[in-house]
Amino acid sequence: MTIPEKVFITGASGLVGEAVLRQLLTRNPALEAFVLVRNDLRWQLASRRLGPLATRVIPVSGDATLPGLGLDPLLRKRVECETVSIVHAAADTSFSRSLDHSRFINTLGTYHVTELASLCPDLTRLVYVSTAFVAGRGTGTMLECDNGADAGWVNAYEQSKYEAEGCVRASNLPWVIARPSTIVCRSTEGEIPQINAVHRALRVYHRGLAAMIPGDRVYKFDVITSSYVAAAIATLVQHPNAAGQTVHLCSGRRALTLGEMLDAAYDVWTECPVWRKCGFERTVITDAETYEMFERAVMETGDVRLRSVISSLSHFIPQLALPKVFDTSVAESLLDPAPDPALYWKPMLRRLLENNWGQSQEVAA
Amino acid sequence: MPFSKQDGQNTPAIAGISYAFPAGSRTVAELAKERQLSSSPETLQSFGFGSVHVAVEESPYDLALAASTRLLDEAGIDRSSVGLLIYGGTPGYMSFVSAEQAEEGAAGLCTMSRFKYPASRLQYDLDLPNAWTFAVDQLACTTLLGAARVARSLCLTEGIERALCVSSDFFPVNAGREAIFNCTSDAACAVLIERNGERNRLVSATTVTKGYYWDVDALRDEIVASYFPTARHVMLRTIADAGWAPGDVDWIIPHNVSMRSWQILSGLIRLPNARLFTDNIARHGHTLAGDNFINYRDAIDGGCIEPGQRVVLFAYGFGAQWTGVAVEA
Repeated sequence: MTIPEKVFITGASGLVGEAVLRQLLTRNPALEAFVLVRNDLRWQLASRRLGPLATRVIPVSGDATLPGLGLDPLLRKRVECETVSIVHAAADTSFSRSLDHSRFINTLGTYHVTELASLCPDLTRLVYVSTAFVAGRGTGTMLECDNGADAGWVNAYEQSKYEAEGCVRASNLPWVIARPSTIVCRSTEGEIPQINAVHRALRVYHRGLAAMIPGDRVYKFDVITSSYVAAAIATLVQHPNAAGQTVHLCSGRRALTLGEMLDAAYDVWTECPVWRKCGFERTVITDAETYEMFERAVMETGDVRLRSVISSLSHFIPQLALPKVFDTSVAESLLDPAPDPALYWKPMLRRLLENNWGQSQEVAA
Repeated sequence: MPFSKQDGQNTPAIAGISYAFPAGSRTVAELAKERQLSSSPETLQSFGFGSVHVAVEESPYDLALAASTRLLDEAGIDRSSVGLLIYGGTPGYMSFVSAEQAEEGAAGLCTMSRFKYPASRLQYDLDLPNAWTFAVDQLACTTLLGAARVARSLCLTEGIERALCVSSDFFPVNAGREAIFNCTSDAACAVLIERNGERNRLVSATTVTKGYYWDVDALRDEIVASYFPTARHVMLRTIADAGWAPGDVDWIIPHNVSMRSWQILSGLIRLPNARLFTDNIARHGHTLAGDNFINYRDAIDGGCIEPGQRVVLFAYGFGAQWTGVAVEA
């Protein structure tokens, strides 16, 4: 009897991991998957969403932060023997964690995954799901390689992911580093699978609490769809020319500018007569220094609610004033083109309004 | 809606400004000791506030009369040439009682005393027999800018030669001395507008009213958030309506709210050659409606503003009103 080819996936109950798992199982009917399960309840929900595909999934209890991924030794041996590819998508994506915490989950977790990978004799690919924002405070064109650490980072998440990339690069494995930018919706239809910092910032704008943001109208801000990211990662798992490549899963040169994004948001909000009646002003895009002065004034004196709003944005907002374009040359040589964000930005905004930023059922579904 | 200068038309102008403060004053530290502040004195000092004027025995009317009398004496005009008197500030009967008796004054608004109007009494006491007299209300800190705008329009449309605009404000003891991190002061200010003037011409004005923010307690955060983008919008529109470029503006004459907020707003509007007149924030505090014109006069008297320079006056008032006025000095 032939043992079916297996992929090992971490973070399979998360936004990217689950979508990648679905893609891989759909593309290859003979493929089976080990998924690392840290939270049973979350996995059960994800498994239910997978439907019949879940019959080809073997959940294994463990935790990427533990040595040996916390796997039972016998089970671990089986994983090592049968796994031919690994997708490491597990991460703590919160921007507000301490550096120690982010490193513990994201960097140490990745190190443990590379340890496991090195013990898989038939491994053909390790795809590490990083983030385009390992570029941190860097500005200009970001290449699909290690752009260095000199610029520093906006938050601990970015730094921990950058350091995790280092673990992957240092391994002698057939790795691929996939760097998605900010996922804002599932497809060009604009469905929102998960609320993130961009959506929360838009909610602040919608509630009339966004006095200003740092940046410039012409600065680009890169967003992407989860369906593109999942399909791209599934391709990179098997692409013969991908080993040793760092790949931006981004809109790249087609990214919208801050001005375009905010104008579109204002246009969509004003479609609602009740919102229009409030007379909210367009948020001002200003320089980082003025924004910091405003932020400091609010933190020193503002009411609890406004302080909370400004504080929650502080781990993300500075990135807007750091203009960068993610080069996608490698991605274009290996993958289908990314969708044009102009196609899904407004539909996404309308979905936000319809589901009231995740208060209705769609986001959870 | 804005007004703006049109070529070939006469431009009404500011012919004089005078003001009156009460005898008493308090430092920020003293106000804190008297529990008149919500924020710490250190915070308010870091925002540029030093001391404020506090009326005790004076009534708002006393201050309004003093400021107006001084202005008319300085102007030396024929009082019968004043065709309009616009009063704003402390409402009705409350304006006749001292700060100590504010509650009695408020109670008077619920009796026939409510018809005892300070505007009419001013017209009589100042001996302005030809002045059509009325009051403007609910413009808060933009009252005097609003009154000047109405006066300017009536000068143009009805041929009124001279108009006197007066505001007088005080904070009753129970209201405290702080409004959204600004230290409030008691004062009256009087402004004389003339139909034809060569100096201090009122070139344009813009007001944006956003009624959504009428509930100042419930929407405090929203007001803070909307203040800056709307202020920027109004100031830039005022400049554009004057036919000026941002680089043409020489001075910004502020209402005396916190220095910090003006630093932020300056960062947003980016007028490359404009200076901000801040001398009065520390020594007078925020006199509600009087700030801009008190500051304008002091800036001229102090030799800061020179003839022909281009000046933007801006104030925000609860209500919510954002008003900018462009003046060619």
